[in-house]
Amino acid sequence: MKRPIVLLLAAVVLLPLLVRPAIATEIWIFAIFGLGLNLLLGYTGMLSFGQSTFFGSAAYVSGWLLKHYAINVFLALGIGVGVGAASAALVGYLCVQRSGLYFIMLTFALNQLFYFTAYQWTSVTGGEDGMPGIPRPALAGIDFTDPLVYYCFVAALFLVALWIMRRIVESPLGRILQAIRENAVRAEAVGYDVPRFKLLAFVIGGAFSGLAGVLYAMLFGIVPLEAIGFVFSGNVLFATLIGGSGSLYGPVIGSFVFIWLSESVSTLWARWPLLLGVAFVIVVLFLRGGVVEAWSRFWTWRSSKPKA
Amino acid sequence: MAILETQSLTKAFGALTAVNSVSLAVEAGTLHSIIGPNGAGKTTLFNLLTGTFPPSSGRILYDGRDITGTPASRVAHLGLARSYQRTSVFPAFSLYDNVWTAAFATGANWGGLLWRPAGRYPEVDERARQALADVGLSARSGQPAREISHGEQRQLELAIALAAAPRVLLLDEPAAGLSPEETRSMVALVRALKGRYTIVLIEHKMDIIMSVSDRISVMHFGSLIAEGTPAEIQGNPEVRRAYLGGMAA
Repeated sequence: MKRPIVLLLAAVVLLPLLVRPAIATEIWIFAIFGLGLNLLLGYTGMLSFGQSTFFGSAAYVSGWLLKHYAINVFLALGIGVGVGAASAALVGYLCVQRSGLYFIMLTFALNQLFYFTAYQWTSVTGGEDGMPGIPRPALAGIDFTDPLVYYCFVAALFLVALWIMRRIVESPLGRILQAIRENAVRAEAVGYDVPRFKLLAFVIGGAFSGLAGVLYAMLFGIVPLEAIGFVFSGNVLFATLIGGSGSLYGPVIGSFVFIWLSESVSTLWARWPLLLGVAFVIVVLFLRGGVVEAWSRFWTWRSSKPKA
Repeated sequence: MAILETQSLTKAFGALTAVNSVSLAVEAGTLHSIIGPNGAGKTTLFNLLTGTFPPSSGRILYDGRDITGTPASRVAHLGLARSYQRTSVFPAFSLYDNVWTAAFATGANWGGLLWRPAGRYPEVDERARQALADVGLSARSGQPAREISHGEQRQLELAIALAAAPRVLLLDEPAAGLSPEETRSMVALVRALKGRYTIVLIEHKMDIIMSVSDRISVMHFGSLIAEGTPAEIQGNPEVRRAYLGGMAA
């Protein structure tokens, strides 16, 4: 409990033993996606309803390059990060001019714009059928087509992403973004160009989304149209809120809960999103800090109980 | 020499002229107070000086430079820091993080903005601690701002302004809502800061104004109606009329 990183490493090792490698891999990919959103939602206080824009754009661009030119895996990831950051810069630039409801609607509307572009541009994206046939080229003799090898690769990248995000939130930037969340007017008055910092948060979040998008495309060998759709934006938002926005590990836990529910329970019970709805209501009404808050409350409660 | 000067500064919100052709000169190193009845335009004047919004017309000179229309985030870097009439802090932050955030903004270097742990900026840390010490809140530095009393929040409000290491402090009713006891310590605090900074002070409480000010400007319905030393202002019939009339109306 005191050392979340120990728990996390244990989870990385144990997860493929408990669930199929593909699901285990998806959990860490979704966690990377959530880390990016959380910088916006939890730290800066911007509710972005368009994160799949960056996820999907990166998946399409790198997926296409992988498919047609069989580029190096790291190059594909690098390009994905770049596309994610660039698309986030574009979208972010337009969105940070507004706040509140208008901001949310703008992120949503621009996401729709990207979605319908992908939907219509069938020669490249495959439209509704998605973009299939994305390979996982071997690198230096390592065969990524082995699910377990790919799992290890993704898990390692997740740990690196988590470490980078940790550095960012503990840096001055992390504090400035939180200051903007707490009181944007005062943050501006003490000397921070608030829209510019919000844009920076967008770009960093977009880079994380882009990384996740490319890993996702390589995991399933296809970029489905949903990868750039609003349901996907909503899913990562759900997962982050349930896990706990504003804490570093919240989106990681959220991703775990969300993917596990959607992959395991959905086979038993087709109406599983109901559970998600209930969880969401509970979080919004009673546990604004999500699972992370429930966890810390539980430990405070336990340690406050007199020892028997 | 005037460090802060306005020339025919005007701000209109639709039909309402909140600040009407105000020309004001604040001498470096002095404590210059702005008084006037509610709605006289004092806070709007502060908002103009700090770039919260641009004036409709007129100019603002700081240290001889025209800073009219400079946005708020840039004004802070020029050495103008303000405190708010209605407490405006970072509620979830500890008191230390509140002042740290202000100190970092105007810090000498932003190197490692994305990477270096926030704790590794000795110069910022020093300034943050000093600002808390100046207002007497050092003992509470770890406490979240939302948990301290109103009086302490007013002190924090001032500390955030001080942490920016400004040359000019714009204080908007630092004693707003304070008990007589707290007001006395706030006055002592402002008096202690006098001389270290050029201070522009908005205040309602006459006893405070008269005891600390070097010069006083009186605003009424957006315009300046008088300016002078405390003694001159006390004897000014027009000021008396504005205040008494304003209150009787």
